[in-house]
Amino acid sequence: MLKRVLIANRGEIACRIIRACKEAGIESIAIHAANDSGALFTELADIAVELEGNTIAETYLNIEQILNIAKDVAADSIHPGYGFLSERAEFASAVIEADLIWIGPSPQAIIEMGDKMTARRTMRAAEVPVIPGEEVEGGVEEIIAAAAKVGYPLLLKASAGGGGKGMRAVHSPEDVREAAEGAMREALNSFGDDRVYVERLLSGSRHIEIQVLADNHGNTIHLGERECSIQRRHQKVFEESPSVALEPDLRQQMGEAAIAAAEAVAFVGAGTVEFLLTPKGEFFFLEMNTRIQVEHPVTELVTGVDLVREQLRIAAGEKMSCEELQMRGHAIEVRLYAEDPSNNFLPAIGDLLTFIAPQGPGIRLDTGVRQGDAVTPDYDPMLAKLIVWAPSRQEALQRLARALDEFIILGCITNIRFLRELCDHPDVIDGWTTTDMIERLWPDGWSPDMTGRTLDAAYLAVNAAEASGYGRKNMNSGSSNDGESATPFATLSRRYP
Amino acid sequence: MELSYLGDDISGTITRDGQSFILGDIVADVDNAVWITIDGRRQQAHVAASKDAWWVHFAGHTIRFDIVEAGFTASGSGGGLTAPMPGKVLEVLVETGQNVIEGQALLVLEAMKMEHRILAPKDGEITAIHFNAGQQVTGGALLLDLQSE
Repeated sequence: MLKRVLIANRGEIACRIIRACKEAGIESIAIHAANDSGALFTELADIAVELEGNTIAETYLNIEQILNIAKDVAADSIHPGYGFLSERAEFASAVIEADLIWIGPSPQAIIEMGDKMTARRTMRAAEVPVIPGEEVEGGVEEIIAAAAKVGYPLLLKASAGGGGKGMRAVHSPEDVREAAEGAMREALNSFGDDRVYVERLLSGSRHIEIQVLADNHGNTIHLGERECSIQRRHQKVFEESPSVALEPDLRQQMGEAAIAAAEAVAFVGAGTVEFLLTPKGEFFFLEMNTRIQVEHPVTELVTGVDLVREQLRIAAGEKMSCEELQMRGHAIEVRLYAEDPSNNFLPAIGDLLTFIAPQGPGIRLDTGVRQGDAVTPDYDPMLAKLIVWAPSRQEALQRLARALDEFIILGCITNIRFLRELCDHPDVIDGWTTTDMIERLWPDGWSPDMTGRTLDAAYLAVNAAEASGYGRKNMNSGSSNDGESATPFATLSRRYP
Repeated sequence: MELSYLGDDISGTITRDGQSFILGDIVADVDNAVWITIDGRRQQAHVAASKDAWWVHFAGHTIRFDIVEAGFTASGSGGGLTAPMPGKVLEVLVETGQNVIEGQALLVLEAMKMEHRILAPKDGEITAIHFNAGQQVTGGALLLDLQSE
């Protein structure tokens, strides 16, 4: 049993882990950079410790400082969340060497899966199908040579990569040099490693991933699939389970392949094996994420399994508590980003002047922000994950549309309207979702289907509010609109006997 | 557009193509709601003000109205190219005096850990470059000038 978990992360995933700890009766320690002071996760945690330093490298990526804090507060374990240090084998090793429990797989498993080129070789050995492509040792010239062998269109990927960084689609040989240079540079900046390899670009494919869970008692199970095909800039925006593309046979085959992939690296904990599924029904291994994933709630809602709680259990050496799984209904997650979908999804910043989240049946909101917080360029622009569950896919889409209609964020541009219009798109309703869907549906970019009338009405509302001084007044004084409300400290006096 | 005042109540009408809407009462509640009556149906708008803009959510859309101070005009017609957000200039791909074609990459900006390419919105000549590689830029900063014939 764990007693005190340090969470080496921030934002919504730190909140998620802290809540799981509270439910399990475990104390939680948040660490945070100075610019995260007062953030939701620092308030939810039992103890919050400020990190010294300014850059991400000096704070959330500072292994030495994090381990010193863990020692100071007598934590017995570390949960890395996703991103940051979650897939750094040297961090996992350092945690274990400091006699702390690492809530994740072995450093060896992280190394074998973390380097994408090594993972391709390991998977081939385990007879898990990989995407036709070439591993590359060397620089731009070697990449260009490998590209000629693989053929176009192709995808350049950072070997140390993830999250779309250091990735480039190349459609013709003229573009390969510039793309290779850009991919290498971005890979170097993001991961400190500029190795890039080449894969055939399988257009029209779906992104299907299988959640796996393994404990130290010889159990490795899969918890069904998530379809995460709708992506922009190689980052997911819409994830669901189950996928309309999987019949029970294929689900079983992919589930078995995922278990084989996990067992090939003696994986323990919660992980995800990602596949591409081609229109012909062939599937290929993409990569394995050896950590909890952003979209894990989708699986939680259809299986009823609390994946983070299972991570805590497994890390403590216990058996996982889920055996016979019953999949129920349909779940969809959308990622709310501070970004402008009508301007190539460029990240946006601003103050969350209004943040009203939807409520009602079948709705889950995982977020690390609340009204009054500022969205800054310092971190990832994801504001929240909205997850809905309903008995069927159709009802889940209807529920998602309703929830997005209720969601109001003012003060920062978001992708809410884009997500809302996705819900009504015939291809989404039919389940014809592919990784190139956004480019396919909106080749010239997306813009909101707003009528002049809506704009006029909005303009009128703003002018009326400005004229009355209303929105401004209220923003500063919070919810009090009944004049001067006296503070209880002024009106209450306490006497000591 | 017309606004009229009766005590604390504000009402207004806006006319476009001969059709009018009527703006109803402003209802003061914690969520900054404004009620608008269109064709006899009441609909809620949410409003909030930041330093330089008004934000409104109405009929499922979120709209930002910039507060433009007198004497200032928004750039746009001048052909200036601005940074979409704060970041760092990674690479300048063109030189002053160079002719460029619409869609050509002019500059690479790094922001939020991603590379953003600033493209030429039209054919023309680069008449000035305001930043060098490695420099930090603020959101909205003018990066280069593009003059079209």
